Amino acid sequence: MESLITAAARALEAGDPLGALNRVALRNDAPSLALRGIAMAQLGDLAKAKTLLRSAARAFGPREAVARARCVVAEAEIALVSRDLGWPAKTLAAARATLEKHGDLANAAHAGHIEARRLLLLGRLDEADRALAELASAPLPPASQVVRELIVAGIAIRRLRTTDARAALGRAAQAARLANIPALLAEVDSANLVLDTPAARLITRGSEHPLLLGEVERLATSTALVVDTFHHALRRQGRIVSLGTRPVLFALARLLAQAWPADVSREALIAGAFRARHADESHRARLRVEIGRLRAELTTLAEISATKQGFVLSPRKTRDVLVLARPVEEKHADVLAFLSDGEPWSSSALALALGMSPRTVQRALDELARSNKVQSFGHGRARRWMTPPVPGFPTGLLLPGPLLKT
Amino acid sequence: MKRSAAEIVREYGPFPGVEAVHGVTYDGTHVWFASGDRLNAVDPDSGKIARSIDVAAHAGTAFDGRHLFQIAEDRIQKIDAATGKVLSTIPAPGGGGDSGLAWAEGSLWVGQYRERKIHQVDPETGKVLRTIESKRFVTGVTWVDGELWHGTWEGEDSDIRRIDPETGTVLEQLDLPAGTMVSGLESDGGDRLFCGGGDRGNVRAVRRPRRG
Repeated sequence: MESLITAAARALEAGDPLGALNRVALRNDAPSLALRGIAMAQLGDLAKAKTLLRSAARAFGPREAVARARCVVAEAEIALVSRDLGWPAKTLAAARATLEKHGDLANAAHAGHIEARRLLLLGRLDEADRALAELASAPLPPASQVVRELIVAGIAIRRLRTTDARAALGRAAQAARLANIPALLAEVDSANLVLDTPAARLITRGSEHPLLLGEVERLATSTALVVDTFHHALRRQGRIVSLGTRPVLFALARLLAQAWPADVSREALIAGAFRARHADESHRARLRVEIGRLRAELTTLAEISATKQGFVLSPRKTRDVLVLARPVEEKHADVLAFLSDGEPWSSSALALALGMSPRTVQRALDELARSNKVQSFGHGRARRWMTPPVPGFPTGLLLPGPLLKT
Repeated sequence: MKRSAAEIVREYGPFPGVEAVHGVTYDGTHVWFASGDRLNAVDPDSGKIARSIDVAAHAGTAFDGRHLFQIAEDRIQKIDAATGKVLSTIPAPGGGGDSGLAWAEGSLWVGQYRERKIHQVDPETGKVLRTIESKRFVTGVTWVDGELWHGTWEGEDSDIRRIDPETGTVLEQLDLPAGTMVSGLESDGGDRLFCGGGDRGNVRAVRRPRRG
């Protein structure tokens, strides 16, 4: 092993990126480039880090396949943390296969975790699950176990399985203490916070109260008619009517459910569903048509009857109507939900994750920026968005294990 | 050129708190190895660490009969083996790209890893007396019975090879099993070669083939 490379790698491991840079700043051989790349990543200059790691991967000889694969994995992780989700998954898979073939199982697992985290961010939960299952057997170092359990917890949270999520976070905390990496412990804590912070609001009979994720989960087995504003659907146990593509019908259903068992006046329905301030005769006609459509959609779940001033909802086969809403309802809540992970996102990555058009996302971001709810930095394609304040930027940059020892 | 599989006679370690072995030497009683921030003396019979010296130890290690020589960053430290004190330092010829270190015939022999070179260096001044070109990345270097041996480690392949000190021609090659690394090499003066196992954190004893 080379002397200065060893010294610089040790400095990096001890959390001293400047010490590492001091030792290899003027060298351009492959291991030095890789070391400098990682040091820059730790110092937060992800663009520079990416360039250096890419040069390092090129500079390693054809016989140094493992070293090259580790550089690819590091670059993929930087891409993930930069929310550059369009990063080629195939390159990462190839690097993972190389590492596996050469017995570097810890870094192979790290590569798999990066892929699973990407899928989780994209909301492709089944694929994320499969990616994790492929890595299941090998015993992992504690830091990798933490990452693995965080992904398991992330999937469970998205699937509203709080018991599984809590168990995974418990295991993650245990492994983080073993690994003795404060950044990882902090990450586990902030994941725990998700379970202990209200995830939704329950509105029923004119009153409302906050719900934790676990309570939202229990609601799934409730016999009540639930108007779910997260999924734009109405459901009672297994029966689901999705109104995702019919926003006006959903708005009407929600207004009726919130007032239940009381009725809602025509004026209130028109104002709420059509965003019209003054109801005229054409609005009333349209309301009749829309109510008719809603009635047809809801036949199995509820009935809608006309009253003297408006309409009233009567649920079938249940005595309860609940509205499940976001804790704070505001425009572009879905965009904010993604940004609240504290990471810098590109608008194209957000569009990919939200399944929206880049133009729609860009409009939402501009609007949110005007009200200081989000901030951006960088320009052009390198522009990134995040919610202020930002906890420890960049979080989640763990980088492959012993990248430089060989 | 003779080529055969290396015969591994014994493995030492892994040792607690040792992540990687960067250099190996032998003082007649103990096998010394460099593990980043210290030098450790292993009893070759019990396999236990008998003693250690806290000193920066990033690459090759050598012993001249009284002193230990240890590469750290871009310099070679001369250490009193009895007290562990650093007596002097000279610049390393590879400016930090150095890996293996050996003592022989009044000179230090320093492997320069990626440059695939072995330098003969004046131990007092650090002056490069001559340079031997190898074909592979050089890790450890050792002299025994007038034979110059060095370890290689390039990508996934490692071997120990005896080269002609004049021309650099490979005379004999002992291949290590795939995925095994050689970091640091030292002869015990007899038929054993000690080699460091890189980030496996162990030391192996390999049989030196007899000629005749």
